[in-house]
Amino acid sequence: MATSSQRFDRSTNHFINRIGLTVVYVGELLRHRAYTRFLHWAYGIFFFLALLSGFGIYMPWIFRWFTPLFGGGAMTRMLHPWFGLGFVFFFGLQAFNWAAAMKWGQGDTRWMKRLRDYVTNRDTIEPPDVGFFNGGQKLMFWEIVGGSIAYVITGVIMWFPEIFGRIAVAISYVIHDISALIMLAGIFIHIYLSTIGEPGTMQAMTRGTVSEAWAWTHHPAWYKQVTGRDPAEALAEARRTQARSSGDQSNQ
Amino acid sequence: MSDRKTLQVQRISGHPGPVAGAGMQREEQVCKLIDTTTCIGCKACEVACVEWNDMPFQPTMFDNTYQTMPDTHWNYWNLIKFNEVTNEDGTFQWLMRKHQCMHCADPGCLAACPADGAIVQYRNGIVDFQEENCIGCQFCVSGCPFNVPKFSPTTKKVYKCTLCSDRVGQGLEPACIKACPTGCLHFGTKSDMLMLAEKRVKQLQTVSGFKEAGTYDPQTIGGTSVVYVLHDASNPEKYGGLPKNPRIPLSFTIWKNWFKPIGLIASMMAFAGVILHYVTEGPRRPQPQPPVKEVDGGEGKKEN
Amino acid sequence: MTNGWVDIKNTDMMLIMGGNPAENHPCGFKWVIEAKRNRDAKIVVVDPRFTRTASVADQFLQIRAGSDIAFLGGLINYALANNRFNHEYLVNYTNAAFIVKEGFKLPEDGLYSGYDATARTYDKSTWNYEEVGAGAHASDTHSHAVQSSPVPPPTLPPNVAYDLSLQHPRCVFQLLKQQYSRYTPEMVERITGIPRERAIKAWETFTSIRQNGDMKKAGTIIYAVGWTQHSSGTQTIRTAAMIQLLLGNVGRAGGGVNALRGHSNIQGATDMAGIFDILPGYLKMPVPADTDLKTYLTRTTPKASKPKEWDSFNYWSNTPAFTVSLLKALYGDAATKENDFAFNWLPKIDRKYSWAEIWDDMYNGKVKAMMAFGMNGVMIGPNAKKNIEALKKADFLVVCEIYPDETSEFWRAPGTTPEEMAKINTTVYRLPGAGFAEKDGTFVNSARWLQWKWAAVPPPGDCRLDQEILARIFLKIRGKYQQEGGKLPDPILKASWNYTNPNNPSLAEVAKELNGKALADVTDPKTNTTIKADQQLPGFAFLRDDGSTMSGNWLYCGSWTEAGAMIQRRDPADPSGLGIHANWAWSWPMNRRVMYNRASCDLNGKPWDPDRKQIWWSEAKQKWAGNDVPDFKPDSDPKSHMGPFIMNPEGVGRLFVPIGAVADGPFPEHYEPTESLIANPLHPSQSNNPIAKRFKSDMDKYGTPDQGYNIICTTYRLTEHYHYWTKNNPMNVQLVPEPFVEIPAELADQMGLRGGEKVKVTSARADYIAKAMVTKRIKPMMVDGKKTYQIGIPIHWGYRGIAEDAGKTAKTPANYLSPAAIDPNAYTPEFKGFLVKLERV
Repeated sequence: MATSSQRFDRSTNHFINRIGLTVVYVGELLRHRAYTRFLHWAYGIFFFLALLSGFGIYMPWIFRWFTPLFGGGAMTRMLHPWFGLGFVFFFGLQAFNWAAAMKWGQGDTRWMKRLRDYVTNRDTIEPPDVGFFNGGQKLMFWEIVGGSIAYVITGVIMWFPEIFGRIAVAISYVIHDISALIMLAGIFIHIYLSTIGEPGTMQAMTRGTVSEAWAWTHHPAWYKQVTGRDPAEALAEARRTQARSSGDQSNQ
Repeated sequence: MSDRKTLQVQRISGHPGPVAGAGMQREEQVCKLIDTTTCIGCKACEVACVEWNDMPFQPTMFDNTYQTMPDTHWNYWNLIKFNEVTNEDGTFQWLMRKHQCMHCADPGCLAACPADGAIVQYRNGIVDFQEENCIGCQFCVSGCPFNVPKFSPTTKKVYKCTLCSDRVGQGLEPACIKACPTGCLHFGTKSDMLMLAEKRVKQLQTVSGFKEAGTYDPQTIGGTSVVYVLHDASNPEKYGGLPKNPRIPLSFTIWKNWFKPIGLIASMMAFAGVILHYVTEGPRRPQPQPPVKEVDGGEGKKEN
Repeated sequence: MTNGWVDIKNTDMMLIMGGNPAENHPCGFKWVIEAKRNRDAKIVVVDPRFTRTASVADQFLQIRAGSDIAFLGGLINYALANNRFNHEYLVNYTNAAFIVKEGFKLPEDGLYSGYDATARTYDKSTWNYEEVGAGAHASDTHSHAVQSSPVPPPTLPPNVAYDLSLQHPRCVFQLLKQQYSRYTPEMVERITGIPRERAIKAWETFTSIRQNGDMKKAGTIIYAVGWTQHSSGTQTIRTAAMIQLLLGNVGRAGGGVNALRGHSNIQGATDMAGIFDILPGYLKMPVPADTDLKTYLTRTTPKASKPKEWDSFNYWSNTPAFTVSLLKALYGDAATKENDFAFNWLPKIDRKYSWAEIWDDMYNGKVKAMMAFGMNGVMIGPNAKKNIEALKKADFLVVCEIYPDETSEFWRAPGTTPEEMAKINTTVYRLPGAGFAEKDGTFVNSARWLQWKWAAVPPPGDCRLDQEILARIFLKIRGKYQQEGGKLPDPILKASWNYTNPNNPSLAEVAKELNGKALADVTDPKTNTTIKADQQLPGFAFLRDDGSTMSGNWLYCGSWTEAGAMIQRRDPADPSGLGIHANWAWSWPMNRRVMYNRASCDLNGKPWDPDRKQIWWSEAKQKWAGNDVPDFKPDSDPKSHMGPFIMNPEGVGRLFVPIGAVADGPFPEHYEPTESLIANPLHPSQSNNPIAKRFKSDMDKYGTPDQGYNIICTTYRLTEHYHYWTKNNPMNVQLVPEPFVEIPAELADQMGLRGGEKVKVTSARADYIAKAMVTKRIKPMMVDGKKTYQIGIPIHWGYRGIAEDAGKTAKTPANYLSPAAIDPNAYTPEFKGFLVKLERV
């Protein structure tokens, strides 16, 4: 079964790939092709622009030092909705890109139930039914989808208050804030897990590849799908190899 | 009101720390009293406002009324609202109410404003917009229970009546007061104006037969620096939508003052959480992890 | 105003009718509010529309336009029936006790005695007082007079018969009662459309200040052109004067009959003879029969006419001194005793030359040219279309204005085709005038205050001051007369023109000339003060009829004395608190702020209200003293019983006006407007004012309900605009952008009309298109049993102005609609209360 990313590789994505085709070395797997990575960093940048410009408006008595970064309060205010729109636009493309991969399944529900085990690192590798994305990732994705819709609706209301009226603005104001707070919390987890929390992950969004070990560790079902090998066996094999090589070393 | 002290800043929107000079002077709140029962709708106040603030003219449209335009405008801060009212008892009234910023003690605009220094409330009660600090977000428009601040699409800023803070700061009365020919407008300290209002209300009740006459100084927003005398205080809505109990939306009070910081802290808990996670649980590495290399001096080395 | 603006604050009761001061005099209206706020004064407003004045009134009554006399007559009837008058004031200060000549007939059938139906005039010889002992011969004198030709004008008897008990059937009081007993609440309701209970309540309220004759309180009547602009306008105002005399309100602080003048200087214009039949200071205009000064003075100088035991100051007996001083001012050294002070150089009027007559004459080809200064001729008169047609026939037209106006562009009036324009041969000269803020000079306000103003800005571009334009024209004409001669050159060649800069006389010099100066030493024998030759006169008591003084207007004498320009004083002090402000500017006559203030005291010279002491008789000084300047002979002991109304030969106020001083009757009678929906319920056979003038040209049409003109239309002004000027000013245009027609909501509902849609208003003369303002402020009313609607049109728009030039309005002047029917006394046209049709466009 082809992942959605592969489908995009074949269809609309030649341009991006022509600029920087993903180089996959031996021992690596293609995780995100260039288009996906491009989108990720595009909305990532807009997210931070919107976040930082939003901070200045959210709570100026703490974050007023953000506004000069954008050319002062009025400019910050003017840019923020455009940053938001930029975020929503690119994330929207990503949402289409990932729509199939993000489809919620039985395994995701099971994953959510095992969340505590995940957090406490109880399992050395993920259960065999964790695919391209795990339940947590999907949850975050759909939160962002929902949040983006909320952003757009409430944002437009606040952008044009004369059309929508005072009460609509007052309500939007709260929803927009809540949406931002959830995403703010999410971004910490996201960054953590993609960097020091789960080493080897960052590479997926930079070079677009992950190590096979990373794949069978975090997304066993996906590993199995793209390699055809059983992740548990692959791990056992790797362990054996490792033990052999360390034995060789000690023998020398 | 004859010195600049009355223009001391009391509150500043979106500004950290104490206000410089707070508590240094005796508080003397200024107040504009509008006696709607003696307003003749001559619009002298409208003209004075436009002239003093040097605002451009704009085309208006005939709208089946004597009212100059449907509502105040970013460059028209003072508007007499004309209302033909047939009361329940069949009596007919043509009510005229000068509409402008009410200069609330608890200003909804200021509460809503996210821009540092865009809205200030002076110690004398004047709520003033500082154009150079306005970011044009229009939250003040939503925060205002009287629908007063108006956004200029040209300058992308919001404007409203300043209670002629420039004049008041020099010991003069606001331009509208100066222009009012009948003396339906008064200006002085809040206590004096309330006293005057009470006197007039009593007269309306006893002499003119307006049993429901009263003063409009809504306490739901802590009172206002613009006070009305109404023939019928039980129904201020009939004076062109004067709210009986004006309120600031909760989103600009409870939400903004309490839940926003709490929400931010809650969000930051995620940051703390991941740090904690890293420290207690450590990273989750791809398996198998490489074996620990034994290096001299390394913690992994065991002394034999 | 008999009183003044500030004085309104002293009142306890206001009847505001025929005026809309909140809208048209908002600054003066502060005193109305002061009275309301500080004295609990009540306001009764009577108007065809619920105006902004009505919005602050205690009572509002919607009246049918043109039926004011009926309402006021009802008020008189109510006051008489309910003892709402003071006997002492009535008997001593009015002519209530005077006995009227036998043969005088009240207008039960709509006509007073002496009506000549063919000439549409009255023989006024029976409109007179009875002379003591002459009763039996009165009719003889009359028949004798008829035989001789021409009939000498009737004169007042020197010794008037009277009855202090007011019981004589022909005494003024009894006739008054009889006249207004017909104005019952039922009749008033039929005529005015005011429900009787509301009328009674208003009468009760207004007359409550004189409950049981108690004189403590005072009430004022405030009016404007809503009363004047009717075919019985003068009589309406007379009715108000009678009410105030009856209630004892004249001469008193917070009382009086108070005309609010519409323009900033209309009072000054009237004082300076802005009307064809007067000379400055309300001296009468000479007529052809005045062959010499003596004849003129004999005709115009009244002789005292009063009960023998009473005294009368009869101030107009000084007419010769006023007249000669005026002639000396006009002609200087050329006016000598030998040439009758050049009396014969004055123009003499052989007929009426009022506003509507001038236009009629031009329309009929008799007037060939016009100079229009400071007024927009085709806009301000009735039947404006006729005036535009008239100008097309003129040779030339000179217009001095600050904006391009409709008069100077009459040739482009709406509907004029290019072919028609090509046929107009009138030469138009447009002169750039200066605006009010660009020139010095005085305004005389409604309170008769002469207030000097200083130019604020210089006139722009080539604009010139009016006096410079006039002076240059005059000097040019004089030069032509000098070179070429002409008919009767003396008035022009010898007119006094002693100004420092003859081409541009300073208005200060003119003001000093109006005040007047001594030409030889003049001594007042009583005070033994002497004014030396060439000194400014301190007051009109120094005016002489021997040519030793000159004064351009005796009323203004005292305004610019040796002590300086009284009219430039700016001291707001008011020690008495009565709003007299004696050192602020200067009011005629002699800085008196309340006229006839002798009437503020009882017979013994004690103020009626000790809290509002205006003047009083000081027994110690044997003089009248006061906070105000006594409008009275200063040393007249109350015991001499001199009447307080010193300008009347009777010395008392006139409830009954004798010998046709008011042309349409000694008592006011309700007549229907020229165009009316109903026949006069009082006397259907004599519905209209029998001597009101209508015009007969082919463009003077008058509509009737039979022709489908079934709605009453009234015209008015708005706060936001000033006449036809401010349509050129963006600020005012912003406040009210375009013309409209105020239409009762009920009528609009019937027509399926909504606010903002266009309507066409058609009178017998023309039509007018504007947007509808549908309002609940005008209600339908029942007039003589018929449901009646009134509409209103503000007059401020024409075919030149910001909105007009931008093509945003319909461009028709409101006065296209109004009829040229004029009041027989003041010659004011009936701008209010004519008939129209109303249609949707």
